[in-house]
This record gives sequence, C-alpha cells and structure tokens, in this order.
Amino acid sequence: MPDNWGFVAAAYGLTALVLGLYWRRLVRREQELDRAGKDRARTPRAAAEATTAAERSRQPSRPGHPRSEPASRPPLP
Amino acid sequence: MVRTLGWLSSAALALGLVMAFGVAPREVSQGNVQRIMYVHPPLAWVAYLAFGVVAAGSIAYLVRRAPGADRLAHASAEVGVLFTGLAIATGSIWGKPTWGTWWTWDARLTSVAILFVMYLGYLLLRGTVEDRERAARYCAVLGIVAALDMPLVHFSVYWWRTLHQPPSLMKPGGFTGSAAILWPLLVNLAAFTVLYAYLVAKRVRLLRAEAEALA
Repeated sequence: MPDNWGFVAAAYGLTALVLGLYWRRLVRREQELDRAGKDRARTPRAAAEATTAAERSRQPSRPGHPRSEPASRPPLP
Repeated sequence: MVRTLGWLSSAALALGLVMAFGVAPREVSQGNVQRIMYVHPPLAWVAYLAFGVVAAGSIAYLVRRAPGADRLAHASAEVGVLFTGLAIATGSIWGKPTWGTWWTWDARLTSVAILFVMYLGYLLLRGTVEDRERAARYCAVLGIVAALDMPLVHFSVYWWRTLHQPPSLMKPGGFTGSAAILWPLLVNLAAFTVLYAYLVAKRVRLLRAEAEALA
C-alpha cells in the first residue's frame, strides 16, 4: 500500500491547527479580562459609570422623547 | 499549576511526535498512513474522558449546586466537543486511504456523530438560556443524558457489524500488537490527556474570571 503521507500530514496538521487556534482564543480572552480588570481597578468611577450605563441599557426604552409639562414651559416671545 | 500543565503538555506532545515518527515502525499492511493511529485514538480517548467529566460535574452540580462543578462540566464539554470533532475528522482522513471512503453510516461513526451533535447542543443551550442558574441546571441534565451514548459508542463495534475496527487498547485481554507500536501510542495517550487537563484548567479559570467580572 502506498504511504499516503499527504493524509498523515493533513491529520496531524489539522489537529495542531485547531488545538492551536483554540489555545490562542483562550489566551486572548484571558488577556482581555485581565486588561478590563486592571482598567476597573485604576478608574473605579469610570467603572461605576460603565456599570450604570450597562444597567440603563437593559431597561426598557421609553417611546418618543421626554417632554416637559406645559405649565413649566416659558412663554413664547 | 495551569502554567506547569501547559509546559508539561508541550513537552509530552513533542515526545509523542518523536515517538510517532521516529520510534514507531512503518506498518506492514497500511504503510505510513497508519501513523494517524498515534493521534486519532488519543483524541477519541480524550473525548470519552471529557464527556465522563461532564457527566460527573453535572451530577455534582445537581446534588450540591456548586458553581465550580458547573464550570468544570462547561469547560470539559467545550474541550470534549473540540476533541470529538478532531477525532471524527482524523478518522475520516484515515478512512479515505484505508477504507476507500471519507464517511460511512456504520454504527461506530454514527454513534460518535450523535455524541458530537448532543454536546454541541449542550454548548448551544448554555448560550441561549439567559438565566445562568437555569442554564446550568438544564445543561447538567443534558450532560448526563448525553453521556448515556458513550457505552453505545464504545460497544457499537461489538454489537453491530461495522467497518470500524474494534478497540486496540480498551478491550478484554489488552493490546496484542508489538511494543514498538504500543509505546508511542501510550505516550501520545498520556500527552493528549495532559493537554486536556491543561485546556480544561485554563477554561475553568477563564469562566471563573468571567463570572467575577459580571458580578
């Protein structure tokens, strides 16, 4: 039977590629989280604001623009 | 510990490659394409191991409601899906020159494909249920149910007439081939097991960090 080195290379190459990409994805995500954690620790106020913004984004949106009450509006010139 | 596991798995995989290509002899009937054996069964073994850990972690979570057990099951399922996919792909690559086909719907291949799809569903379920506690509970049940397919996968080659050969190592009486083939196979099995432990440990750490960032 012929050696079929191409099939051997494909099997080993595919395994190395997929496992390598998965490992790199884990490393990147870890670095992202690490960076985000450091940023939060450096600027607690910005982090608090970001949390508030995130909380606000989860609240249901109000239809239209908020309008003032007619009595509180200044008369037209 | 994770870093040590990483270095250990790199060294073990390098040794496994040397054993597969430098020590193991050229097989008489299949030729050098048989060297796929030093990567395909280790991948399949890790898939078994990973889904066994998913089932154990899922049972532990349902009994004790420990988030750590859920994280272990989640990480192991992800790595298990990866290894199962690779086991299917490398098996298919090995099948073409030896069986003459990339794929056939025989009992072993079909049961492995079902296992793969079930754990893929497990990961999708985690992504779709928003409430984390509920997702963990549903996935724990699915993780246990899906593990029931594993004995079917393993014994399918005995219960049905299949194109896939019976297991070389995990069989009554043990390995019957030569030591020159057995040792490279054992080294690669160990190397892929350490790699699995490393990837799962890294993923668990990441899941914990993500949970802390969200809290």
